[in-house]
Amino acid sequence: MIKKKITILNSSGLHARPSAALVKLAGKFKSDFYIHMYGYRVNGKSILGVMTLAAEQGAELDIELDGPDEKEALEAIETLVANKFGMEDE
Amino acid sequence: MSSNDLEAAKVQGLPGSEGLIVGPLLVIDEKERIVHPEKISASDIDRHQQLFINARTLYLAELDDLLSNLDKQTSEIIEAQKHIVADQEIEIMINKMIGDDQYCVDYAIYKTFNGFIERLKESGSDLFRQRIIDLENIRDRLVALSCDEQEHLEVEKGAILVVREISPTDLVTYHERGVKGLVMDKGGVTSHAALIARSLNIPCLVSAKHAVHSARDAKTGILDANKGELILDPSADVVKSIKKAIKAEKKRLQSERKKKERSETLDGFPFHLRANIEFPQELDLANQNGGEGVGLLRTEALLYGGMANKSESEQDAFLKKILTGIQGPVTIRLFDVGGDKLNVHTPDEDNPFLGWRGIRMLLDEKDMFCSQLRSILKCAGKYPGRIKILVPMVSLVEEVIEVRNAVEQVQQKLLEEGIPIDEQVPVGMMIEVPSAALLADKFAREVDFFSIGTNDLTQYSLAVDRGNERICNIYQHYHPAVWKLIKMSVDAAIENEIEVSVCGELAGDPIGAPCLLGLGVTDLSMAPSSIPKVKKILTQYPLDRLKKYAMDVLESTSGKEVQILYDELSGG
Repeated sequence: MIKKKITILNSSGLHARPSAALVKLAGKFKSDFYIHMYGYRVNGKSILGVMTLAAEQGAELDIELDGPDEKEALEAIETLVANKFGMEDE
Repeated sequence: MSSNDLEAAKVQGLPGSEGLIVGPLLVIDEKERIVHPEKISASDIDRHQQLFINARTLYLAELDDLLSNLDKQTSEIIEAQKHIVADQEIEIMINKMIGDDQYCVDYAIYKTFNGFIERLKESGSDLFRQRIIDLENIRDRLVALSCDEQEHLEVEKGAILVVREISPTDLVTYHERGVKGLVMDKGGVTSHAALIARSLNIPCLVSAKHAVHSARDAKTGILDANKGELILDPSADVVKSIKKAIKAEKKRLQSERKKKERSETLDGFPFHLRANIEFPQELDLANQNGGEGVGLLRTEALLYGGMANKSESEQDAFLKKILTGIQGPVTIRLFDVGGDKLNVHTPDEDNPFLGWRGIRMLLDEKDMFCSQLRSILKCAGKYPGRIKILVPMVSLVEEVIEVRNAVEQVQQKLLEEGIPIDEQVPVGMMIEVPSAALLADKFAREVDFFSIGTNDLTQYSLAVDRGNERICNIYQHYHPAVWKLIKMSVDAAIENEIEVSVCGELAGDPIGAPCLLGLGVTDLSMAPSSIPKVKKILTQYPLDRLKKYAMDVLESTSGKEVQILYDELSGG
């Protein structure tokens, strides 16, 4: 299992569409994916779970991955978040 | 039941379809039904879990349907909604609430979504608060879809359905499951649901304010649509006397039907009464009442239920059912979508009645248009001489010409494929827009027949929305302004030697029908239930008397005066 702290960079936060992108990506990996924030722990493969974290720009999330492809999953997720979900400032 | 003299509670409304019945009440309150934390028995767990899966499948299909007609930005939002609906976590939680806690499906959905909604509310972020509405909408739609199916399972025979409003398709479904009467909070006398109720020959009250609220705890009711009231939980004595009255009325109707009078005026001039229908289920009554074919076949039902383009074979099967279910001509109106008819995928419009509907939409949606024409023209080849094509919502001459060209092209293609056609298939138009009536002499050279739709013609002439109950009183279809437009259309048809018929409410109306015959319209089409009544009236007078009545009507100044003229006709 690996854990990592990441920061949300895009201005609209983990809104509907960014959440959908994150969940879609996580779904491609076998590893379990959980997000911790303000004491909540949600399933990172559930869009409702992710969305209802209401993570705004600057929010810090502890992500937790556990499974055979956890390293690749972490890398992909970090890239997506760093790229602001590919939908910044449209 | 208490036996004191307290009068039973009543709900008042407008009669949308006549009749009198006693039956158990089936009250459906879209808002009420959400929040009851009802427990279910262990044997019902599987069924309730399946209800959620079915509701989810239906909802995803609805969203897919929306997607086919959206721009990219909006599509992404719908895609996100689909993700939410299909969320695995949600399914696990709902199944747990049903399986472990034994809550009913609607409460499980409601409670599960509320958990997420609460969290968003607590977050204090304005940006995310907007999402709350989205989640609430998804929650309510899922609850509604899962409940619909539940309720569909539990219709008592002969039930009186009490709803806020209802779609035509749902009404037909409920009718097939045993519903025999309808009471609606909303809607006017000419709302689509009321038209269907008349066709199905079930009593119906519309604009019955707060009916759902008042009837919520009642078990049985007497629906007297002739008087315009629903009596809640009547005493046993009242029920007994009403049942007697119903029996007597049935006998009277049967004997009336037996006297199969010929359709001609007192002095022997023939006329034809045909049926307006939308579903094959209505043919029985049309035949019983002596309808000479179908004067208006509405085809929009093929579009309901979310399928934007029904497959050709489904359309073929529908038409075959109609053609084999009744003798005589069948006038098929092309898809007339828009306005009060359930929109399938029309975008929001400020003024749908003046918007993209009828032929305007069909000429833009070529695939839908050509697939319908193809199905109709194939059928016409199989039943030569029986089918007529009717074009709705025509306002410009160019539209008719374009339709004729399309018909020719499709027929050419069918011939190339070796499929038989009816080369003489008549193409006609609805006269329902004032411009069409005013230019009737020009239109008459381009089409094979006119069919006057008096409902829309009335609302466009008097600028009154017929679905708006607040201004129902302005919607007067006896208004002389409408009669003048009808006269212009009829005169143009007779002069150019094309057929003319009337398929609106006026044709099935005791005051309207004799006046139409007096103007020279010998072909009237109406709800199947109206045929015996109209026949009885029209056979009572010589044609000259009706001609005079029509001339007097044209000289009147208000709808009220026309009613007085009718009293003179029927009294003297």
